Amino acid sequence: MSKEKADVPYGTLDLLILKTLATLGPMHGYRIARRIEQVAENLVRLNQGSIYPALMRLEQQGWIRTQWGISETKRKVKFYSLTKAGLKQLSIEIASWERATALVARFLEAES
Amino acid sequence: MKLHSMPGRLLALFRRRKLDQEVDDEILAHLELAELDARAAGLTPEESRQAARRNFGGIEQMKEDHRDHRSVPWMENLVRDFRYGMGSLARDPGFAVVAIGLLALGIGANSAMFSIVDAVLLKPLPFPEPERMVRLWESTPQGHNGTTTLTFLDWKRQDDLFDAVSVENNEKVTMATGGDPIRVSGKEVSADYFQVFGVRPQIGRTFARGEDQPGAARVVVLSNAFWRTQFASDPGILKRELVLDGEPHRIIGVLPTGSFDRDDAVFWKPMIFAPDQMNRGQHWLTPIARLRSGVTIEQARAKMTMLRASLNAVIYQKDWGFTVEPFARLLVGDTLRRSIYLAFGAVLMVLLIACANVANLMLTRGTTRRKEMAVRAALGASRSRLIVQLLTESFVLCLLGGAAGVALGALLLHALTPLVRATLPFTADLSMDLRVLGFAAAAVMAVLILTGLLPSLRTSFGGLSNVLNQAARGSSGSSATVRRTIVIGEVAASVVLICGAALLFKSLERLQEVDAGVRIDRVITMSIDLPSSAYPSPRSAARFYETVVQRLQAVPGVEQASVSQGLPLQGVQWGEYMRLPEVQEPLLVRLKFVDSWYFRTLQIPVEAGRGLEYTDRAGAPPVVVINQEVARYLSKTLGIANPVGRMVGIDVPGYGPIPEALVKVQIVGIIRSERTAGLNAPPELVAYMPLAQSPQQDIKLVIRTLSAPAAAMPAIREAVRQIDPNLALGDVMTMKQVKEQSVLWARQPTWVVGAFAVVAALMAALGLYGVLAHAVTQQRREIGIRMAVGASSGNVLAHILRGALSMLIVGLAGGLAGAFALTRVLKSLLFQVSALDPAALAVACVLMTLVGILAAWIPANRAARVDPMTVLRDEG
Repeated sequence: MSKEKADVPYGTLDLLILKTLATLGPMHGYRIARRIEQVAENLVRLNQGSIYPALMRLEQQGWIRTQWGISETKRKVKFYSLTKAGLKQLSIEIASWERATALVARFLEAES
Repeated sequence: MKLHSMPGRLLALFRRRKLDQEVDDEILAHLELAELDARAAGLTPEESRQAARRNFGGIEQMKEDHRDHRSVPWMENLVRDFRYGMGSLARDPGFAVVAIGLLALGIGANSAMFSIVDAVLLKPLPFPEPERMVRLWESTPQGHNGTTTLTFLDWKRQDDLFDAVSVENNEKVTMATGGDPIRVSGKEVSADYFQVFGVRPQIGRTFARGEDQPGAARVVVLSNAFWRTQFASDPGILKRELVLDGEPHRIIGVLPTGSFDRDDAVFWKPMIFAPDQMNRGQHWLTPIARLRSGVTIEQARAKMTMLRASLNAVIYQKDWGFTVEPFARLLVGDTLRRSIYLAFGAVLMVLLIACANVANLMLTRGTTRRKEMAVRAALGASRSRLIVQLLTESFVLCLLGGAAGVALGALLLHALTPLVRATLPFTADLSMDLRVLGFAAAAVMAVLILTGLLPSLRTSFGGLSNVLNQAARGSSGSSATVRRTIVIGEVAASVVLICGAALLFKSLERLQEVDAGVRIDRVITMSIDLPSSAYPSPRSAARFYETVVQRLQAVPGVEQASVSQGLPLQGVQWGEYMRLPEVQEPLLVRLKFVDSWYFRTLQIPVEAGRGLEYTDRAGAPPVVVINQEVARYLSKTLGIANPVGRMVGIDVPGYGPIPEALVKVQIVGIIRSERTAGLNAPPELVAYMPLAQSPQQDIKLVIRTLSAPAAAMPAIREAVRQIDPNLALGDVMTMKQVKEQSVLWARQPTWVVGAFAVVAALMAALGLYGVLAHAVTQQRREIGIRMAVGASSGNVLAHILRGALSMLIVGLAGGLAGAFALTRVLKSLLFQVSALDPAALAVACVLMTLVGILAAWIPANRAARVDPMTVLRDEG
């Protein structure tokens, strides 16, 4: 893993997970992690393990739910899917992210 | 932390194991999948596994992160520490048993004692709006006095001040039971008596207005306890009757359980004033009242003072006033209050010593656990985490000690209640209620802070490396100083207690040595109350006295029998004015009625003139015998050197409802003073009048027997039964028991303080032993070296004992200083003993020193037997 890769920006992992689940439907933790890595195309460094605490946090908030399923390796694993509240939360997070980036972008333009 | 995730988090606390397992499974699945993908990408199995792990990141860190989010981490830690604490206690059962035992003793004694303090001194009276309950008095220059019937009725009319005003008059009556009659206590009260207390009956009703007026039907209200024991909780009780002194009374109600069950009285009946009692001369009533809501005690006092002024024309004691006192204040006397505080102070001291001991034990344990702590710290536990862990362990200990203590307290209270019941007011409800449990919980918290905080701070302190490097060799260091200081404190606290106990015991001994002025051996006494129904006239009562003495005199085993009103040491019922013709101011004397055999039975010698004779009876000229105190007063203050033969006027109370009347009597003799008001009270001014000339209904039989008094009782009972089978004998007591009872107020606090002083001394000894034993273990090497270079076992023994003695001496000095500081507390409870009595204090110091040296002997002896070779080889 090369040095110039950045960590996942603080606070965005939730958004990435929610968006992934919204786009692709129920999937287990490993697939979610792989999907994020693929989309990011090596732009960021992700400790795959870190998505599990995030998943639990999201579950506690009621934005995702879990169901037991069978993995490709014939193991019992949790499949995560978006709830209605999660869908709503996703739109909120997207909106707030866009506001934030727009704000930052405007500042950067003004500076130069 | 958002609130709505709280339930799930709390739940997670208890499903910890399952959730941990789930996370493990998930990680495993993740790694397998990652490995599979890596293999598909063409890596070798070994490379695949490594890549999967690398991409996953720190597994343990992730788990910790997961756990933190899953539940409340500090709580999870707490649960873990709690379990760990239990475990570490279980691994060291000796420590656990001693520490829990000490705490249980301290907390148990304190919660039992607190229950008494709370019930007697702190809790409001167990009646609605108790602050509105008052007692009404006439106030004299000497203090409070009872009031007269007519004045009472004036008070009763002040309905802008009082909701209810009632008299209460104790009486003992004979109750027919079908079998032998029994003597029961009851109260004659006004119809609105129960309104004063705000008490409603459990069954039936209490008295109605007008039921205390002449001509009303005879009705009676029972206490709950009496209903349960005497009538087996008969639900049909209202259909039954109670035959009191031969007269049937209709039972109209039963009171609820509670305060009225703790009173002597088992029944209440209306007091109906006889025409003879309608006067302002006989001060025989002590009314209680309930203030109207909104009326303050000051307002009531002011209004009563105005009322007093308006009654000037009819009340002849011009310098007397009316006064209103809170009911609660009069229930608890100064001596009782002081005794309770004293006993509570003693048990608090014991708790402190117990805490000191436990703290010391923990410190000792702490030194041995230092390495464990250091290792944990090295592995990344923060200092606060370690302190919390140690505190949790202390908490486990205190909790167990507290629980055992509450159980012990309940037992103690159960055992104590019958012993102290008679000394406490009837309103005091002794029980392990929520307040007591709250106190116990607070005590546990205090103990936790005292025992846990310091040791845990000390144990978790200390630079890591310095602890890890430090071998257990000869390190006494600062923690030993702390432990020594604690032991010195323990010794000081026990010395304070032992000094207190020594002083109290000496005082009790002095008190019991007081000559009561009567011979008390082989004397048995009992009460009889002559009911008005069977003994309506003074003449009938006088006839009874004569017959009963004649009959008793004939009983085998009886040496001398007599009748009197009242017994030595129990106080004299009447206080009356003796008027001397040549003196303006009348002299207030106690007036005691006795028969002609009383002085002989109790062997009270006649000093001048004569005693009372058989011939001093109704019809004969009235006579009085005075005691030396009166004679002394007359000669000293009034210059009457020889009072025998003089005529004096005395207000003599009548028989039953007959009012008192001024009688001209001749002083015929002087007797040596008997102690009438108790052993601690100086002899009173007492005048004795013959019972036969002024009969009374409540009398005592005083009988001197030839051998053991109890053996004569059946024959005595039979003799009385033959005269009147309806009379019940009550309060059967030997004079020895009467004397014992009269010093109960002094005996109880003395034994309580004494018992706890012993406990405290033993605890201090245990503390001393613990510190020395630990020191000897720690210094084995040092001792070994000393012995190797020529010290004898004797030197070593002396060295250790010297160490113990130095602690003891500092403790003794501290304890004596404490005892000096507390003299003010004790002074009022001591009888003819100075609070700084050198002998008592010396005894206390010697006792503590002996106990301390005994405790030190065991470890000192162990040290003296240290084999230098073994020790030095061990330490290599």
